[in-house]
Parts: sequence; structure tokens; C-alpha cells
Amino acid sequence: MRGKKSPWNQAVLKRNISGWLILLPGLILFSFFVWEPLLESVRLSLYTARGVQLQEFVGLQNYIDVFKHPDFAPAVINTFKYTFWSLVIGFLMPIGMAALITETVHLKGTFRLGVYFPNIMPGLAMVLMWGYFFTPGKTGVLNILLNLVGISPQVWLTNPNMTIPLIIVILTWKSAGATALIYMASMGNISPQLYEAAAIDGARLWSRFRHITIPGIMGTIKMLLILQIIAVFQILYEPLVLTNGGPNNASISIMQVVYRYAFQNFNYPMAAAVSVMICAVLVLLTVLYFRVTRETD
Amino acid sequence: MFFKKYRDKEEGVIRSFDMGSPGVKVAAAVIFIICVVMVIIAIFPSVWVFLASFKDIKEFRRNPTIFPSTFDIAKFIKTWNDLDFFQYYINSMISVTGSVICAIFFNGLMAYGLGILKPKGHKIVFAMVLWSLLIPATTSLVALFVNINRIGLNGSFVPLWLAMGANAFYVVLFKQFFEQLPKSLIEAATLDGCGNLQTFTRVVLPLSRPIMMVVAIFALNAAWSDFLLPFLLLANTPKETVMVRLFAFRTSNATDVEVLRAIAFSILPPIILFAVFQKQIMQNVVSAGIKG
Repeated sequence: MRGKKSPWNQAVLKRNISGWLILLPGLILFSFFVWEPLLESVRLSLYTARGVQLQEFVGLQNYIDVFKHPDFAPAVINTFKYTFWSLVIGFLMPIGMAALITETVHLKGTFRLGVYFPNIMPGLAMVLMWGYFFTPGKTGVLNILLNLVGISPQVWLTNPNMTIPLIIVILTWKSAGATALIYMASMGNISPQLYEAAAIDGARLWSRFRHITIPGIMGTIKMLLILQIIAVFQILYEPLVLTNGGPNNASISIMQVVYRYAFQNFNYPMAAAVSVMICAVLVLLTVLYFRVTRETD
Repeated sequence: MFFKKYRDKEEGVIRSFDMGSPGVKVAAAVIFIICVVMVIIAIFPSVWVFLASFKDIKEFRRNPTIFPSTFDIAKFIKTWNDLDFFQYYINSMISVTGSVICAIFFNGLMAYGLGILKPKGHKIVFAMVLWSLLIPATTSLVALFVNINRIGLNGSFVPLWLAMGANAFYVVLFKQFFEQLPKSLIEAATLDGCGNLQTFTRVVLPLSRPIMMVVAIFALNAAWSDFLLPFLLLANTPKETVMVRLFAFRTSNATDVEVLRAIAFSILPPIILFAVFQKQIMQNVVSAGIKG
């Protein structure tokens, strides 16, 4: 194409320009809503501000101040607790659910619909609703249900040792079904001949699952593991609405620190500093994770 | 009867020839029961919201029961009027409608450029779009909020609408669909003298009804459920959406049953959407799930 004379080049040029004109609205929107805010976070975090107006450049002072804030250390520790519990409670659950639904032949469509259902519910409404389930005293829904089997009422979220695991239970209730459907799709791609060959070799059900199903969905497992960690790191609605970070900071999350800085104290630079740290940690974690999992393959 | 159908089983660990063994039969039955229990656990809380909403406040506080003593729809209507929910529904509808239109038009247009026109350098743009799928969205929220304030668009629906127009996941969905469209139709439109924009609105979009439906359904549900940005931009203005209002109940003097009825109002539209479009939703949950 390069050798051709100008009419061709002009036509190509024209086509490229008109193509870019079509991309332009999208580029503007992506820049404004996605790409620029990332850079703006970094810039914001290096300044002081009055309201939304930047005042003076202070270098890394905001980051240093964030570390001194009394909420920061508990929030970081809690974020690791959230991640830990989400791996203990939330990670294996969808794999198990997918494996079980895959083994059914009756009502399979209904099961798929049913377990996906919580995922379409508005997050905020569901969190408020679970507040009623965890109400202490005899009229809390879970206590009513416990009473039916003769167990005395529990205090649920007000027990600081239980707060984070219970919040993870809610999170799992909402998202496990959707995740299970992804695993189901992955399990459906495993060739039935593999199972049949294993059966001929005398493999029992569990060992077929262990040696055929699990390796078959390993790629999906690896992908969803990191996606889940990224999601749980940013947990906000649940502690914000259910416990407001309490009792006594027992459930405050790192995103809640951002929220408090930005929308209760209106200190946007400090909020941005925490945001930048979260983003940096997650990007680093993702890159490291992909490097490690690639090496082990 | 129950076990007969396992003869046609095509996937999974248990094969049809295993069904001879009584142990496997028991396992299959147990698995079926566990699945029923899972669905009950998934659905029960939402059902409970509606059941408990039929109680009055005395009954709700005193009686530790699941079922209400009466089913009186008038209680719902009274709360609907008392809390002025009509206004919040209208506000949410305005927000949702604009969001769906933007989601289809802008992401579709972007995908048309990236998937069909492909001007020089389109690969870089697409790589940047894909990257934004991996970057945690909430971390740039503060900066976005500051930017919106700087250009004076707080207290307006416009940023909520336009934000839906920059969704990497929808761009990918559209792009995959457009790449399968017959090229001849698009070329014919160009030969007829249609400009790129005309080709998009008159040829590409009408050919893309199925994927437009899917994006519309997902965008509708996302916009209805969206809370944080609407809360930051619209709280304490006359434009509060249903979710923003719901959050305010947390600290208001509304009674527990009124809040429960408000929750019921807020989950009703997604339930109806799910019931009507379950086929389209279930066909696309896998790609949707990987994004969310």
C-alpha cells in the first residue's frame, strides 16, 4: 500500500480519520469515567485541597498521614481477614455447587435459575435485608429459624469475632450462584469420554472428580481466584450498611476508610492516597499472581 | 422413574452405567435434595421480605413467626404513598432509561469502530479497554467524583447516564457480535453512500437486536441497582433514586416494616425483569459473571 500514489493514500487516510471519528465519543467517555480518574487519583493524592480545589503540592505527606490514622491499621488487617474468610467460605462453595448441579438430570434449568437469582438482586437492598436476618433477639429471622430446631437466639453481627465471617456468608450467598454457573460451563466442556475411560479403569466417583473434573476446571479456578480476591479487597456496602465498620472497628474495610475520608471528612486527597495504595497493591498482586501461575503450568 | 432419566446424562462424573449400583443411586438422590435446598436458600430471603412486609409493626416486633397473620395489600399501598415511592420510581426510571440508551449507543459505536472499521491504531484502544476490566473500579471513584464536581454536573442524571456509555464489558459483547455480521451488508451500505454513522444506526444496530437486548437487560439491572455514584451525586436533591432513598432509611424514623416494604419495592423490578428475560439472562451469565 505504501508504494501507491496519493489517491490511494488519501482514501486510506480518510477511512482512518472517519474511523477515529466514530471512536471519538467512546474515547472521550472512557477517558472521563475510567482512564483519567486513575491518573487524577495519583495527582490528587500528592496535594492538599480545599473541597475539590487543589491547594499545594505536599509530595508523599498524605500517604504518611494515612498510616498514622487510627482506622488504617485495623482496616488493613480486616481486609486480610475478609480475604481469608472469603477463601475459606466463599471459594469452594461455588465449585461444590457447580459439581452437584452438573450431576443432576431433573430440574437442572430450575437449579441454575435458582442459584443465580440472588445475583440479580440490588446489592444495597440485599444487605439491608440481611440486617433483619441477623437481628439479635427472638424476632430476628435466623433466630426464629434456630428456635424451630431448639437452638437459643444468637447475637450475630454484634459479636466482633463473628462479624467478618458473617459478612462473607452474605457475600457468598449473593455471588456463589453466578460463580457456580461459570464453573458449570467449564465442567460441561470436559469430554465425557474421559470419565468413561476412567470408569473402565475402575475409578470410583470421587477419584473421577478429583483426577478429571478438578484438572479440567483448573484454568477457571485460577482465573476466578484472583477475581474474587480483587472483589473482596474492595468490599464496602456490607460493612457500611450492616455494622458501619463496628463493633469497635472490628469489621471496617479499607474501602470504608476511603469512604470516610472522602464523603464524611471531605478530605479528597487523603481518600485518593488510600485509593492509590489499594490499586497499587491489587495491580501488583495480579501481575505476581499471573507470573506465578504461569510458571507452575 | 426418577433414575430412568440418568440414562441420557451427558456430562459430569456419574455416568449412565453407574446407575446399576445402589450406592450411586443414593448419591444421585442426595445430590438432588441438596440442590433443592440450595435453591430454597437462594430464594427464601427475598420471599421472606414480601411475607414479613404483610405484618404490621406490632406483629413484626412481637411474633417470632415467618408467616404473617393476614395478607393485606393495603399496607403496601399505604407505605407506597407515605414514603412517596412514586417519585423515587420515576427518578430511577429516568436514570435507568438514559443509562440503557447510553449503554447501547456509545458502547455499540465504540465496538463498531473497533470491530468493523478498525482504523490504524485500533488495537491499542482495544487493549486499553480490556485493561480497564482488570483495574479495580472503585479505586478511581473519589477522583471521578471530584472531576464531576469540577465541571458542575453533581445533582444531575447526566454523569450516571454517560458512565454507562463507558463499559468495557459491553464493548466486548458488542464487538464479538459485530465481527460475526455479514460483511457484504455493511459494504453494500457504504456503496449506497451511507456515512459511517448512518451505517451504524441504519444497518449495524438493526441487525444486532439480540445483543442489544442482552446489553439493555444487563444495563437496566445495573442502573437500577447502582448505589454509590447516584448516592454521591443525588443524595438530598429531589432526584434521589430508589437505592439512594433506601440507604437513607437506615438512619430515618421509618419503622422496620416500612423499611421492609421499601426493600420489597426496590427488588420487585429486578424480579420481574428476571422472570420475563430469564432466557436471555441465563444464556449470557457466564460472560457476565467473569466480568463482575
